[in-house]
Amino acid sequence: MSAENTPWLILLVLALAVGYAVANGIRWVAFQQTTLQRAFDEEARRYAGLKQQVIDIDTGRQRAPFNDPRMPAAAGRVLAWRYAAMPPTPLAAVSIGQSDLVPYYFKVSTAPKESVLTTNEIENPHRLLSGRFDLSFVVIYLFPLLIIALGYNVISAEHEQGTLALLLSQPVPLRTIITAKVAVRAGLVIALVILFSLLAMVVGGVRLTSAEIIERLVIWAGVVLAYGAFWFGAVVLVASAGRSSATNALALSSLWLTLVVVLPSTLNMLVSSLSPMPSRVDMLAALRVATRETNGKGDQLLAKYYGDHPELVALSDVEKVQSDVAVTQLAIEEEIERRVRPVVERYDVQLARQQSAVDRFGLLSPAILAQDALNDVAGTGSARYRHFVSLVEDYHEGWQALFASMIVSKQKLTPDVYDDLPRFAYREEPLRSVMTRVAAAIAILVAAGVTFALTGVARLRNYRIS
Amino acid sequence: MITRIAKKEMTEMFRDGRFQLAAAIVGILLVASLGAGWKQYQDLKTEHETAQRAERVNWLTQERKNPHQGAHYGVYAFKPKSQLSVVDTGVDPYLGSAVYLEAHKQNEFRFRPAQDASTSIQRFGELTAAVVLQVLIPLLITLLTFSAFAGEREQGTLRQVISLGVSRRQLAAGKALGIAGALAAVLLPATVVGVAALAPTSTTGLLAVDVSRASLMVAAYVVYFAVFIAVSLAVSAWAPSSRFALIAVFAFWMVNGLIATRAFSDLGSYLHPTPSAVEFDAALQRDLADTKALDAKLDAIKAGLFTRYGVHTLDDLPVNFRAISLQEAEEHGYAVFEKHFGQVFDRFESQNGVYQWGGAVSPLIAVRSISMGLAGTDFAHHRHFTVAAENYRRTIIRYMNDDILVHPTRSGEEYLAGRELWQQVPEFQYEAPGAAWALSHYISSVTLLGAWLVAAVVAAAIAAQRVDV
Repeated sequence: MSAENTPWLILLVLALAVGYAVANGIRWVAFQQTTLQRAFDEEARRYAGLKQQVIDIDTGRQRAPFNDPRMPAAAGRVLAWRYAAMPPTPLAAVSIGQSDLVPYYFKVSTAPKESVLTTNEIENPHRLLSGRFDLSFVVIYLFPLLIIALGYNVISAEHEQGTLALLLSQPVPLRTIITAKVAVRAGLVIALVILFSLLAMVVGGVRLTSAEIIERLVIWAGVVLAYGAFWFGAVVLVASAGRSSATNALALSSLWLTLVVVLPSTLNMLVSSLSPMPSRVDMLAALRVATRETNGKGDQLLAKYYGDHPELVALSDVEKVQSDVAVTQLAIEEEIERRVRPVVERYDVQLARQQSAVDRFGLLSPAILAQDALNDVAGTGSARYRHFVSLVEDYHEGWQALFASMIVSKQKLTPDVYDDLPRFAYREEPLRSVMTRVAAAIAILVAAGVTFALTGVARLRNYRIS
Repeated sequence: MITRIAKKEMTEMFRDGRFQLAAAIVGILLVASLGAGWKQYQDLKTEHETAQRAERVNWLTQERKNPHQGAHYGVYAFKPKSQLSVVDTGVDPYLGSAVYLEAHKQNEFRFRPAQDASTSIQRFGELTAAVVLQVLIPLLITLLTFSAFAGEREQGTLRQVISLGVSRRQLAAGKALGIAGALAAVLLPATVVGVAALAPTSTTGLLAVDVSRASLMVAAYVVYFAVFIAVSLAVSAWAPSSRFALIAVFAFWMVNGLIATRAFSDLGSYLHPTPSAVEFDAALQRDLADTKALDAKLDAIKAGLFTRYGVHTLDDLPVNFRAISLQEAEEHGYAVFEKHFGQVFDRFESQNGVYQWGGAVSPLIAVRSISMGLAGTDFAHHRHFTVAAENYRRTIIRYMNDDILVHPTRSGEEYLAGRELWQQVPEFQYEAPGAAWALSHYISSVTLLGAWLVAAVVAAAIAAQRVDV
């Protein structure tokens, strides 16, 4: 195998591609970390400024502005909002995944949930369309081509060189020789991809020492191994058919094209047509009508609000509060949320149904399975994002409840209260959940690969030189 | 002679099982993607039009309130879908489709379809007709042409044909024409479907624009296919074996479709980085809060009004100073938003400019840019709509503030307006720009694609002339 120059050229290209891809991933993760650092620095400065402002107003050194930092309504909505962030995992550099498209931080205030959760990072849409040159791109698209290039002629080359007759006359059965050849090539390629990736990460400054990153690396290597096993199985199956090298190459390239290039986007098109996304515009329309109709009913809603929340009435004198704009605002927003809730729930149910249709369709393509698994390991997949959003929703509810009670009880904020305002604490999913999800993908890929390989090996029993 | 060669090539291709299979698959995918694109266009078009009408009703049926509160309720503007998005959805999935037009704030667009869908399958892209034309048809061309010269040489028929007195150039031209003919056969059903789908969806008043955009798009793709035919023929004539030719053209396709797009996108972002949303917000808020110039201006206006009307308190003024200060504050905001949004948008366009350089290496990058531009689904069109929506926002605010201006109130009084005011604000009308404007953003892509055509044809002619038999 080392006689030809081509394998060395291919491996050089692989090393360059892996190096560039990992560098890209590391740069992106660094950008996210810098952004989060800036965000929390800004928050700390803002809080320091607000606490000082409270002191200045109380001591008469400054006049109270329209957005008075002592008033809970202004603080909760406009002044003292906090960032809720999901930091990248230690292994985020291996797959940029969804992390350039979905938010990794939210600004949590007392604004309605739907408006808090609608946020974007700034990114050129053309860049989002082109996709990223990251390690999972190299693994999903280029790694199979490498396997095909090194394996397509494992039998046919011997045939074309005239040495196959010699091999068949050996006491060792053909299938053993071929299996050994393929195993060596498979092992070498997979090991090299993993090795180059590790080297690139170390050179790029990623610390590979913590327990978490080692666990994630093992899972990641497992995905790469499973995906490689799938493609080597395909190579063995095609090679065992006894055709020429050119035919094998053509067949395997077509398989690659179909499974990696055509099938995922075709499945995407089918899913969008057959099980389309629920309409955001419908939800928006309901919200707008509810907002318009509710805004005028301030006083009625105030009375209803106290009826719904008797526990808050004890904290205040109802007459004094009646003209309180802030409480009216609370009442209005709660009413709007109540009216829009059935539409939102319908949207969420439709979305969940569409997502599970997507998951089912995804089983048909090894590229989709592998991409999902790689995203999961890197922490840039949809599952982790949904987990993050549910944590943010809980935090937001708590934030709203806290400020609602402060508004109704006419509590004023002091520097001590500012220090006690709750921070968002991101709780990582246990690695076990990631492993469970990824294990399913690995199992399917390995099962398919092994089936292909065994079928091919079985055919080698009857291999005839025509 | 050339047509005879072409006919022979086409007959051979139609009889080739591999061509039949590949052509059938590509043809089906093209028709399916057009169908899916048409359905999506219809759904979204109806949805946006309905929503825009509903927003007008919401605006008009607001209860009596102070005009400034009306400006706070505001209006949502929905970006209309362009007709040619049936063929090429461009970057629309990554751009929001609705923007909230309210007082004091220029908002970003919301509801990016790709973000809502948010699964990894989505990031493999959707199989639009544009993807089939840009990525799969070139593969079909590769399959048809890689053995044009090298294969004939290996079979021995090339020597025979040359010995009959056929000039090498005629042979190359004949083969190119034959391939083009076979390709036309594959594309014909899809073209029929496409035209049938687009004709009834054309809305009045835009037909002229659509025809010019559509024909330019067809021309761009024809040039693109011609480039691939010429490149494949050139490689086939020059390559020592048909296997080498296949690998070389396949590698060219790989670099084109998968690698160059990502690499040049990375280069654009590296040369013209964009700020994070945190930085953007911080800078925006800082400039918005910097009201020294605004405060000084308002004081000057107030003093001027007091002198002019000979009064000493705001209550005594015959005009509503509150309206003046609201409008001045808004205009301070306009300048700040325009500066900051403008900077980010300019960065995007610089990045896209760098991306277009990639056309020198990859004709796919060139044709993709042109296709998106003509389909109206690129960032330039989004920016055009953003500007139109922002102008409408300013119109609404102007109407509201003007009304407050002529209805001065004393402290403790409240001025309420109703439908008679809401009606005065015209409905939001958006006029999409024309094909010439669309293409003006892609001069370098058009030039590079043209250069590719010239270079590829010249290379094919030279390689054919020198081909070994």
